Amino acid sequence: MPKTEFSPDLTATVTTPPLHRRTPWWVWAIGVAVAVILIVAPLMLPIPTNQMLARVGVFAVAVLGLNVIMGYAGQVSLGQIFFLGFGAYVTAYGVEQEWPILLTFLLAIVLPGVAGLVVAFAAARLGGLAIAMVTIALPIIGVPLAKRLSDLTGGSQGVSARFSGAPDGVPLADDQWQYYLVLLIGAITFVLVYNLTRGKFGRALAIVKENENVAKAMGISPYRYKVMAFTIAAMIGGVSGFLYMVVVQYTSPETLAFHHSINLLASMVVGGAGSIAGSILGGLYYVFVPNFTNEIAPTLTALIQGVILLVVLFVLPGGLASIPHRIRRVLRSRRATPSDSPSPSRT
Amino acid sequence: MDQFIQLVVDGLGMGSVYAALGLAIVLVNQATGLINFAQGGMAVLAAYFTYAFIGWGLPLIVAILLSVIASFVLGAIIERFLMRRFEGGDPDTAVVATVGLLTLLTGLCGWIWSYNNQNFPSLFPAASFNLLGASVSWRSLGTFLVILVIMLLLQSLFKFSKLGLALRAVADNPASSALSGLPVGRLLMVGWGLAAALGAVAGALIAPRLTLTPGMMDSILVYSLAAVILGGMSSALGVVVAAWVIGVLENLAAVYVPWIGHDLKVAVPFVLLFIVLLVRPQGLFGRKSVVRV
Repeated sequence: MPKTEFSPDLTATVTTPPLHRRTPWWVWAIGVAVAVILIVAPLMLPIPTNQMLARVGVFAVAVLGLNVIMGYAGQVSLGQIFFLGFGAYVTAYGVEQEWPILLTFLLAIVLPGVAGLVVAFAAARLGGLAIAMVTIALPIIGVPLAKRLSDLTGGSQGVSARFSGAPDGVPLADDQWQYYLVLLIGAITFVLVYNLTRGKFGRALAIVKENENVAKAMGISPYRYKVMAFTIAAMIGGVSGFLYMVVVQYTSPETLAFHHSINLLASMVVGGAGSIAGSILGGLYYVFVPNFTNEIAPTLTALIQGVILLVVLFVLPGGLASIPHRIRRVLRSRRATPSDSPSPSRT
Repeated sequence: MDQFIQLVVDGLGMGSVYAALGLAIVLVNQATGLINFAQGGMAVLAAYFTYAFIGWGLPLIVAILLSVIASFVLGAIIERFLMRRFEGGDPDTAVVATVGLLTLLTGLCGWIWSYNNQNFPSLFPAASFNLLGASVSWRSLGTFLVILVIMLLLQSLFKFSKLGLALRAVADNPASSALSGLPVGRLLMVGWGLAAALGAVAGALIAPRLTLTPGMMDSILVYSLAAVILGGMSSALGVVVAAWVIGVLENLAAVYVPWIGHDLKVAVPFVLLFIVLLVRPQGLFGRKSVVRV
């Protein structure tokens, strides 16, 4: 592929990240500030807002999972919602059978992970866009499958799982506790992914994304890393599914529908691919924007979603998270000799 | 036995539709290296065009031809004003753009024509005729024959015409083609236009069976993608054969494997795909591409 003058890239940075760069102080500052705000927020806000915030947390984790495979590993996946649905169904079943909550949680991670491993095992063998072509089938097959396995899933009716009282001493029937559980598990997931992407693994993914032949030459097997990234993405999808069940307490085959997967993808792009902050912004987008468009123009929702996605790709390929980076680049190019070529940032 | 023949012919009919959309996908892929996930959405829009033309009182065949022409123009416009910006860049971004286009087109159809199912007239009589003692529907056979003729036309376009040669050159090496004076941009528009026209035919042939909805082509697209992977991206014949195999197999599985039934048919090509991929990663007819660094 010849590179033209203008080559939009889904990620804001195209340089391979240096290994274990020290986290700048302002990242810590922002992280701590966000954490404090999120911990204090529910004590001051009314309950419905709480529920909204908890949902944002759930979908921020879902977008983060998609980011692992798409933003960091550069493999387009159109079926990420399937893993969220899978995790949600596993959780629902576990709550119904009154398993210990920890076991349910682990199974909600492991089973989608295994499913992801199996899918990636076949799809990643093909180069190019095969992963995108195979994953689009997951929601399309998932919906009739969920209807069919009605003994486990409650068929088209769906299944609702209410936490009665306090399983294992966690009063999950209470909205505030649900929120804090989402916050805790979400934060742990985010920190784990953040560390993962900045270490050797993240660098290997970046190289695979950049150029598979270079990766091979360096002794990095693109196939292995794609499968690993996809499995991790599926596991995080399972985590988000567990949290989804904790907050929403109801799931049906509709949860797996194809347009949700597309919404998740759009959220990731709008938030910022290959970015931790972008995942949180993506969660916000997922929860608020489709709802908002649904309220003002129900018949136009899908149309608006498509337009937003295309406009973002056109004008801001790095998503919202790349805005500070862009501002810095503009400022730097003004200070230095005026040139359009972005210098690779080595701060 | 009668049922078996009937199922095979119906499967070939459905498989032909998958083949048409699959060929459209391969056409765009060969020219630009992308997978156009909006190919199904474009076909749905074309079917709605046909639907609108019939509403104006035009005969069905004229309506279909008009919508095929309109689709050709639309495909060319989409390439020029939307995809041109993403070509030569990061392929992932371009693929995400096609997904955005799919959402946009689905939303557009839903907005203009609502999300309700619309009945769509068929080119062929709903009756059946007798073949070796089995009753075979005219629709399946007709669909099969129409797609067959179109494929032969396409094949001869690529093989025997100057335009086809130019298209192949651009698909093979855009940089060299540009240097030898071929209008690469315009040829890409023609490629997208042809793919869209092919999709329009597929849409018009499948709409009577599925009834017309904005999401009508979603599952068809999935089948077509499976056919494209199975057939190997570089082989048109492979894609067509794979699509027929998928069409026939899913029909047989739906009837003879009780657990699958009609709702889980869509899983059949993927089980098949899985088995094939473990044995032949390059697809059934694909050639292993060797990259020299």
